[in-house]
Formats: sequence, structure tokens, C-alpha cells
Amino acid sequence: MPKCTIDGKSIEFQAGTNLIEVAKTAGINIPFYCYHPAMTVVAQCRMCAVEIQGMPKLQTACSTVATDGMVVSTNSERSRKNHSSVMEFLLINHPLDCSICDKSGECDLQDFSYDYGSDKMRYEEVRRTFVDEDMGPIIKKNMNRCIHCTRCIRFGQEVAQIPEIVAVQRGNHTEIVTVDNKPLQTEYAGCYADICPTGSLTLKDFRFKKRVWYLKRTPSVCEGCSRGCNIELWWDKDTLYRTTPRVNMEINKWWLCDEGRFNFHYVNDETRITTPHVRVGVETKTMEWADAVANAAQVLQGKKPLILVGTDLTNEEVKTIQAFATKAFPGAPLAHFGTPGVATTKDDKDIDHLLRRASKTANLNGVEKLGIAPYTGAAAGTNATLIFRGGRAKLPKLEGSAKVGVGVFFGDEAKLFDALLPGTSFAEKTGTIVNFSGVEQSLKASIKPVGKSKQITEILAHWAHGGAHPTPSKEREAAEV
Amino acid sequence: MASETIYIQHFKEECRPLAYYLDKMQGYTALKKALAMKPDDVTAEVKKSNLRGRGGAGFPTGMKWSFIPKQATKPKYVVCNADESEPGTFKDRDLMRYTPHLLIEGMVIAGHAIGSNVGYIYIRGEYTREAKLLQEAIDEAYDKGYLGKGIGGTDFHFDLTVHRGAGAYICGEETGLLNSLEGKRGEPRVKPPFPAIAGAFGGPTIVNNVETLCAVPHIINRGGEWFAKLGKFEKSGGTRLFCVSGHVKKPGLYELPAGGVTLKQLIYDYCGGILGDKPLKAVIPGGSSAPVLTAAEIDIDLDIEPFMKAKTMLGSAGIMVIAEGFDVVNLIRRITKFYAHESCGQCTPCREGCRWMEEVIERILAGKGKRKDLDLLLDVADNINGKTLCALGDAAAGPVISFVTKFRSDFERLIPQGA
Repeated sequence: MPKCTIDGKSIEFQAGTNLIEVAKTAGINIPFYCYHPAMTVVAQCRMCAVEIQGMPKLQTACSTVATDGMVVSTNSERSRKNHSSVMEFLLINHPLDCSICDKSGECDLQDFSYDYGSDKMRYEEVRRTFVDEDMGPIIKKNMNRCIHCTRCIRFGQEVAQIPEIVAVQRGNHTEIVTVDNKPLQTEYAGCYADICPTGSLTLKDFRFKKRVWYLKRTPSVCEGCSRGCNIELWWDKDTLYRTTPRVNMEINKWWLCDEGRFNFHYVNDETRITTPHVRVGVETKTMEWADAVANAAQVLQGKKPLILVGTDLTNEEVKTIQAFATKAFPGAPLAHFGTPGVATTKDDKDIDHLLRRASKTANLNGVEKLGIAPYTGAAAGTNATLIFRGGRAKLPKLEGSAKVGVGVFFGDEAKLFDALLPGTSFAEKTGTIVNFSGVEQSLKASIKPVGKSKQITEILAHWAHGGAHPTPSKEREAAEV
Repeated sequence: MASETIYIQHFKEECRPLAYYLDKMQGYTALKKALAMKPDDVTAEVKKSNLRGRGGAGFPTGMKWSFIPKQATKPKYVVCNADESEPGTFKDRDLMRYTPHLLIEGMVIAGHAIGSNVGYIYIRGEYTREAKLLQEAIDEAYDKGYLGKGIGGTDFHFDLTVHRGAGAYICGEETGLLNSLEGKRGEPRVKPPFPAIAGAFGGPTIVNNVETLCAVPHIINRGGEWFAKLGKFEKSGGTRLFCVSGHVKKPGLYELPAGGVTLKQLIYDYCGGILGDKPLKAVIPGGSSAPVLTAAEIDIDLDIEPFMKAKTMLGSAGIMVIAEGFDVVNLIRRITKFYAHESCGQCTPCREGCRWMEEVIERILAGKGKRKDLDLLLDVADNINGKTLCALGDAAAGPVISFVTKFRSDFERLIPQGA
């Protein structure tokens, strides 16, 4: 393999790799703003310019492919002066309002200003200002904070494949706008906030809700469709605040669709049913767990139930349900449900060029692999339904006179059931799911179960033991500590 | 004083028609001769001529042509840079106005040399009359078979289109020009790849200035060696059109052998000296982007290398002469304003720095300057110089550095005592 030297370190590299990426492999971080590995290299911000032996001018590391024997200095006097001068240029018109900026704490401009900026301001002229603008329902634009890296323009053109953001005017007056000021069209608009290196494009959904440094992060997997995009859940105490994509070059690269990004909202939704409910006469009443489980068992006593399993459940949950069903309802049929029109993995397909899949549940493949067939209607003689749902699977029409629901349900859905035992969502449990291409990935619990919800495994253990007082969940205890 | 000229005697209205070109300028004979030559031999002849680009950078033309790959999957293009956007430059306008067929012939020959069948003349939007005249000449050339299919009875074909710019300095930068030609924002591209590898519409492309292409028929007709000998210096052949403006008695276009006379001779012997016989204050020698020269620095041969040695540039040979008594601070303010206005805004140092320099100079002129502003100007200019995506940053920084350094006392006079 060819070798080059960066800051005195000899580094082997794959031919064709640019200096930013080569340096990264040796733990040397060259600062940059406009560069993004997913997009065309434009060398506009000039932050990454470095000194290369034998070249009279500084060269931008993003646009310079390493060559064998190249000697590079990222911290020579000239390189450093350029880093600090670019910082100065970027900051002369950038409001120094980090304390009220939503990007604060995860802003490249802020971070690099600590490394390369000056604590003295030489600019004494009047700063250019723009009025904040809406870019549709997802993104708010603050042009004053923009550093003209054009990542958003290139994201639209090259990744989302909708050239919806453009630069207008010229030079110092350049402004980033949507075409004809129309709302953003892409289903991936949230990514604009991810790639913006400053607080110029922020998520309306998240802005001003919480300082990022107060949030805890849990790496997990999106349950929005069968792609299984890797995500990070950002949470504090009992509440989820946002989802961001986590890079996985095999699955979602850097991206996440808006549906997946904002899916988490149902977890803390006020209509979510988080206490056990039981029908008493014509009314549906809340009940303590022990009574509710006993009631649920009683509802199905002596019945021939159909057992429905959501394809939004984890493998572990489905296996527990299978084991439970064999004992509690021998011979009862199991079937899965999830996305209308996507009965099996054969019906599942890409619905755009990037990530989104037809199956709106994450574990269709996994559930199918566990031997469960799609729900196509109840067999003759079925007189009850026991349904398990993770939170996203679309409820089918329920058969029979006796109905018990276990899992995540909302609002009026309580009225559908004779007994409803609230379970946990993807964000409150740990388990594995299998994406459309067969990759097995792990969900990881972040917040503790909301309200009085319990893990399905715990509910079934309780049920199997005849509805005795439930022992406190270990996971819950752990979360409470 | 009289030396051979190849263009300027034809800069008259009556020289424009094809009949004159054919009759008095050996019109289209070079094309016939070139088409009988192997393409590589045409390029070799241009190399031999030591023709260097007349747009500003002075790159050897033959060498530029030789960078075009022989085999290409995409069509190759000959693009004429007729944007002539460098302030102080007005030579290409006359070439297009009076000798449009010379340009057309040069472009067809270039097409043959590099294996291209498509040419574009990217002309600045303000040149409405010239665009129309060029179009008329092109129509005439199609009519007579100098453009189109089967040129000169060979199977070579070449199509030529006039494309009008919309009025941006940056579209004179070759890759900004190509983006504009493609219908995109006129913003320079990252190089490499150079246009010779991936230019217009991704195909191998040569971008040559009008005057450069106009030299080609002469070179083919009379030989590269003849052209090379017109120049005084070894690596720079031909004659050059000098655009003299400002405080001289006889401003205008002058055609002189490359390196034939000094800047001083041009100003005093050819242009009749300074208006009102005032002392000379300064000369901007190569379009407004060239670092300024003081009166003491003008004894330089008028060619690319001697100007580089003097730490300025001959550029597009737009020579602006400034007499004593003229406010040079106001002049550099205007120049800087121009570059700040014309900056495309892509890259940080140019977008932010040009405007910053303009603001500081404006403040000094308004009597609100501080002594430290001069060093600030020099530092900001240094932070732009050589660190931008294209040469516009250098074009803005070079003048500021040279004006502040060479005319520092003019700035200091405007700064209040003790500020």
C-alpha cells in the first residue's frame, strides 16, 4: 500500500483517498465544514487547507488525494494561520449567540472556534443580517448563522435527489433558500439539521426543547420500517427528546427519514395507555396489575383464541409469546400483523431511492423467520383474540367476543378490549430485530417503561403464574436506580 | 518605432465583411492548410509559436491544447472566453467587432487540432453589438461552408454557438464560465480536474481567450517560428494588444511586439505622456487585479516574465495610468468594491474578506480610520491571497497589498491624529 506522512506520522492508505480521510485513520483530525463524505467535494470553506511539501500554495485536504511519499503538515505555522484566518472570516458575520443557539454543544463552528479561533475580535464593521425563515414543517432557517458550506444544497441535489435548496444573490450577500421559498419536499428533511455544521438549519421539532448536553444518548435501531436504520435516542429522565441517525455504512449511511426520526413521539404521547384497563360491564376501568392480569386470564378462560403478533415486536418477545401460547392455549393459531398490503417479506420493497421501505414495522423478517404466518382471517371456531403489539403495527379487525390486548395502545383503543395490559415501546426495551436483508440488530432500552407499562415478557410470566402479585421488574428497578 | 502588426490595421468598420477577410487577410486559407495537416502537427505549430494565453494567466496555448486526451468518451469542446470582464481591458471587443472571421477561423482550427466538433463563444452580456456581429459572421461562415458539415471538402465538421453571459466578472474565470455555459450558477469549480480533462458538460475542453484564438490563423499561415520571432523574449511570441486608459494623452488600443517596448515607452512614447503633463503617480498594468506600480517602477519590458519579476502581472494588458493628484485611496476603494461585489460567495476568504477590506477602506475614506487599520488590511489581504478557490481572491488581495504598501502615506493622511 502507498504511504504518506502527515504531521510526522507515516500512514498507509488506499489509493484515491483524500487527505482528510487518510489523516482520520491515524487519529489526526483536520478541521472542515463543507466536506461531507457523502457529497461532491467543493473545497469552499477552505478550513481544511494544509501545507504539502513541494507545493507553493496551501492545499485543501478534502480535494487533495493522497499520493505515495506525500509529506503533509496540518499544524505548520502556515496551516494554523489559515485555520485561524478562516475561523475569523466565518465569525465576523456570525452572531456570537451560542448561549441562545440550539446548535450549541454540537456545533462544528463552536468547537473549532475553541481550537482555532481568537478571543479578540478585529472586525468593527456592521454585521450582515437576515430574517429567520421557515423551510416548511421540519426546518427553521437562521441565515445569520450560515457559513455557506452548501452541504444543504448538495444534500438536496445529490442525496435526497430533490434540488430544493439553492443559493441566491452572490458574494457577501449569498443567501441559502428553498426554490421559490417553497416548503422542503424531501422525506428526509431532518437530515438538513444533521448536516448543517452550525445553527443555521435546526429542527423545529427539537429546537429550544432541551440543551443537548443535558441529554443522555442510547444507540438503538429505528423501528419505522424494515430498513432498520441505526439511530441514537436522546433522552432525559422519563422523556425522549429526539432521534438522530447513527452512521452505518451497510444500512443507512448517515441518513434517517423524517418518519423514522419523529416516530419516537408516540412513546411519551399523552394518549398512550400506560395503566392496565379492564371492561367492567359497559365501562372500561383502570385497574391494578394483579387484578388486570387475573381479569385478562379470565376473559380468555375456556375460549379458542386467535393469537396475533405484531411485526413490531422483538424476536425475544415473539419467542416468549410462542412459549406462552403453547402452554396457555395449546393448539391456538398464531398469526402476525403489521402493515396493510405487506403481508409477507415478499410484499416488502423499497419505496424510494434512499432508505424507506414498504413494511412500516421493523421485524417482519424476524417474525416470519420464527415461523409465524401472516394474519389472513380467523379460522372457524375462533371465538377470542389475544393480540400483542409493539406500537407501530396497524391493528386488524378483531374477531370474537373476547379480546385481550398486550402492548402499546392509544386512546380509544382501550375500548376495543375486555382487558388491556400496557407493554413497552421500542425505546423502553432491549431486544433483537431482523431487517429486510437479514441483518440482526439490537434495540436498546433508554427510558424506563412509561407510566405503569411493563415488558411483555414480564406480563406473560405473571400471567403464566396465575396472576399472583407481580414481582418488580429487574429492568425497572435498574432504571429507577 | 514601426513594427509589424497583425490586427490593429484591420480595426475598421469596412474590414468586417467576409469579402474583406478573404481578400485582405488571407481569410480561411489557414483553415484549409490546417485541415490538410495532422491535428498533432497543428498543435505542434502552435507550441512552436510560443503563443501564450492573452486572457490573463499567460499559459502556453499549445501546451494547453496538448493536455486534451486523444481518446475521450464524451464530446470535446472549444470554448472561447470572450467575457473580457477584467476592468481596464477592451481588446477582445475590437477583435470581435472588426475581425470576427479571424476568431471563427481560429476556433475551427483549434477544433481540428484537439478533435472537437463543437465550439462556444461565451461573450459578456454587455457586448450586445459584438454578439450580434459575431452571429452575423457565423451565419456567413455557415453559408460559405467554413462552419457546419464537410468543411473545406473534408469530412471535418464544426458547429459554433454564441452564448451571452449575464454580467458577472467571475464568468471570465474559465470554470465559472463553463458552469455558466451549462446553465448553472457562475461559480468556479475545484481544480483538478482541469477543463482539459473534464470541462464543458464533463467533456475535455479548451478555454482560450479571443486574442489567443485570433493568433492561430496567423500562426498556421506564416508558421510558428515567424510568430515566435515577433516576440522579444524566448518564451513569448507574437504581438500583443495593450489597452491603455486613464491619464494619458492618447488612450486606446496599441499593438506592439510582446516585450517590444517598456511600459514607460508605451506611456510616454506611444500614448503621448501624462494628461496635462502632470507627474505620474501609479500604473495598474494588467487589468485592475494586477498589483499597482509606482512611477519609479515602470521601466519594465512589456511581457509576462518581466512583469512577474516586478511582482505584478501583465494579465490582460489592461493598463490604467494614474496621474499625480488623483486619490489612490478612493481608487483602491473602487477596485475593492468591484471584487467584493463580484465575489461569487462560494469560498470563505473571498466572500468575507473582500467585503471586509472594502468596509475598512470606506471607513478610512470617511475619516474614521485608525492607524492599525492599515496592518489589518494587509493581514486580511494576506489571509485571502493564494488561499481561495479561484484567482478572484488573489485579484482582490494583490491590489490592496500593493496600494497599502506603496502608497501608505496616502492612507495615513486620511487617518485622524492619534486614532
